[in-house]
Amino acid sequence: MAGPFPPDLHDVRHLKLKAALLLLWALVSFGATYFARDLQALVIGGWPLGYWIAAQGAVLVFIGIVVVYGWAMNRLERSDGQASQLPSPPPGPSADHPHG
Amino acid sequence: MAERERSRVDSDRAYLWRLHRILALYVAGVLGFLALMTWAEHQGLSRHWIGPIFLFLTVMVYAGIGVYGRTTDPEDYYVAGRRIPPMYNGMATAADWMSAASFISLSGALYLQGFSGTPGQAGGLAYLLGWTGGFCLVAMLIAPHLRAMGLYTIPDFFHVRFGGRWPRVIAALAAVLCSFTYVVAQIYGVGLIASRLTGVQFEIGIMLGLGGVLLCSFLGGMRAITWTQVAQYVVLLLAFMIPVSWLAYKQLGNPLAPLVYGEQIGKIADLEAQLLDSPAEHQVVQAYPQRAKDFEARLQNVEASLAHEREKGRERIRALRAQNADVGLIVAASRELAALPRDANAARERWTREMRENYERARPLGGLPPHSQAYVGDPDGTPEEQRDYELTRRNFLALMFCLMVGTAGLPHLLTRFYTSPSVSAARASVGWSLFFIALLYLSAPALAVLVKFEVMQNLVGSSFEALPTWMAQWSRVDSSLLSLEDVNGDGLIQFGEIRLGADLIMLATPELGGLPYVVSGLVAAGGLAAALSTADGLLLTISNALVRDLYFQDSQRKASPEQRVILSKFALLAVALSAAFVAALKPSEILPMVSASFSLAASAFVPAMVLGIFWRGTTRQGAVAGMLTGLGIAVYYMLSHVPAVQGVLPRWLLADGLWFGIQPISAGVFGVPCGLLVTVVLSWVTRPAPALPRIRSEM
Repeated sequence: MAGPFPPDLHDVRHLKLKAALLLLWALVSFGATYFARDLQALVIGGWPLGYWIAAQGAVLVFIGIVVVYGWAMNRLERSDGQASQLPSPPPGPSADHPHG
Repeated sequence: MAERERSRVDSDRAYLWRLHRILALYVAGVLGFLALMTWAEHQGLSRHWIGPIFLFLTVMVYAGIGVYGRTTDPEDYYVAGRRIPPMYNGMATAADWMSAASFISLSGALYLQGFSGTPGQAGGLAYLLGWTGGFCLVAMLIAPHLRAMGLYTIPDFFHVRFGGRWPRVIAALAAVLCSFTYVVAQIYGVGLIASRLTGVQFEIGIMLGLGGVLLCSFLGGMRAITWTQVAQYVVLLLAFMIPVSWLAYKQLGNPLAPLVYGEQIGKIADLEAQLLDSPAEHQVVQAYPQRAKDFEARLQNVEASLAHEREKGRERIRALRAQNADVGLIVAASRELAALPRDANAARERWTREMRENYERARPLGGLPPHSQAYVGDPDGTPEEQRDYELTRRNFLALMFCLMVGTAGLPHLLTRFYTSPSVSAARASVGWSLFFIALLYLSAPALAVLVKFEVMQNLVGSSFEALPTWMAQWSRVDSSLLSLEDVNGDGLIQFGEIRLGADLIMLATPELGGLPYVVSGLVAAGGLAAALSTADGLLLTISNALVRDLYFQDSQRKASPEQRVILSKFALLAVALSAAFVAALKPSEILPMVSASFSLAASAFVPAMVLGIFWRGTTRQGAVAGMLTGLGIAVYYMLSHVPAVQGVLPRWLLADGLWFGIQPISAGVFGVPCGLLVTVVLSWVTRPAPALPRIRSEM
């Protein structure tokens, strides 16, 4: 199946989704660490907040971002597929699995 | 149609179940083996056997999987037949991703650098954030789009997107450059572990490990590597989690280290305060400037002091011979003499370094920043402190940026997403990868904290007489890994007297925590798995770039696909041997080397790739110029600060000091924006962009 080159495929909704998630990404990584010294003063449950965000919180948010992105894109693609009455995406290159 | 669809889904499900079953059996096998070894240790199995058994058996398992997955089919060799389910792709990617640097050095770096490192050497949590946050970029900007194009290598993308010859050639050369730096670091790690585990020489250790790498990647390409990496992931995860959980259970009564180690952070801050007040520590701290001054004096006249040192060494050997001293003493003295720098240049370099190290250690806490304090210095303190604070924060953010963007540009990682069955599976693969990586990365700072507590609480203040034997063993492998010296002569260990190398802390954790020796063997096997899995992926990337993208790029050379695969295999062999040769020179610590290749990858690939994917107007000329500018600036900035290069090239050719106080390791901070800017401007100048090629896409 010949399709257009990727730059043609960028749906505005996809781009908005990406922009929102990238903003969150930048806030959690660059924003939170820039102000880490100020956040450090807050101690929650034995954890200085600045340290906790850098050591754990940010990583958890990163996972969240990737998961939300995958889920949202699958949803968008499915609804697009139904809307245009196209058959589901073509099967992978082959269906036999000769190895483990 | 529906019938066929259903049978495809059924066979996919059966395939997945078969994989799950094999994985479960494998995990059970590894755990069973561990239990068996623990039992054997109880029954009196000698330590001399445990290390080699772990080394040999794990490498044999990987090699066995490699042989089982052997192939000459190009689709299998390059992209594992594009049928790796997301979860397994995630495990393989995680193993591919977590290199010797992550497994061996990350906890060590967090131990030594605390939150952020020093202005001169930023690090600490920047590594952790950089190596996980980059996956957000991969997931949203790159992986699904690359997968949709159904290509084989990263230079392929530049060829298909921009056409012509140069984008591909430059991409291939950049891929070789950054992967080679990276693979040398991995093989160095392999040598380190193998020599510790078996007691052989470092160089022989490298060769032993190399055999394991080659057996997997040489025979089976991507397909064999993928399944070996899954196997290696299991080993390295267990090897990391068992000692961390054990230490956490020992100190806090709860094995879930990442949840509970916050308590120790406060205790470490208290211990640090105590150490700062301790008079013995003060004595130690005062001894170091004296030593630094000795080196400074030597540096006044390098030639003469080198001759003097040599004469002193010879004199000592003569004296020892004259009094018929013990042979061991004479051997040690002549070894010391042989270890003196070979010429004045080497002497200047080494003595300058030692002078700096001694000055560094002359600060309280052995030069280590307070563990949980964000950035050194003080924003409201003296101008000096304010500058330190500002520079540390800037370098921390710069390093994090380079590692994140570099993640999105490292060819060996991106190639893994070509092996997904579909675009949606590629997105899911990134999620699984990040999950499997985070399992380990969330525990790494916990380990650093627990080890620091162990050292401060138990090791400090104990007597030099009662020094555990493992310390002597490690300092024999390489004295830069571990040195302990009674600086103030009171017979007790002070915190300032301990020097641990970043590469050591993880490997020595089990011994430090008093765990059975089997765990030491497992940790070493985990480090080996991490280094081997990354080396596999990197070697494959390099050899594919050399053969597919450079040698066959103009497709005028006639060769069947099978012949190309065979040629790739031999290129892989050649690359592996040359990397082993470079690693045998013991370049430097693993972490800085790896970080350098992130900056290179970030500057060379990411601007042209992201613009190529998202902006239709990117032209070939723009992409070529952007890649060359980005890579050029990064390489130039790094080389300008290498002492060896400074000695050869005239000063005016090199960068003038540090730009904005950014360390050379984060050269990507300059490379990436310059690459972006040049690509955009030149694309605009050479507009309009040619019609885009129609290619197969599954999106």
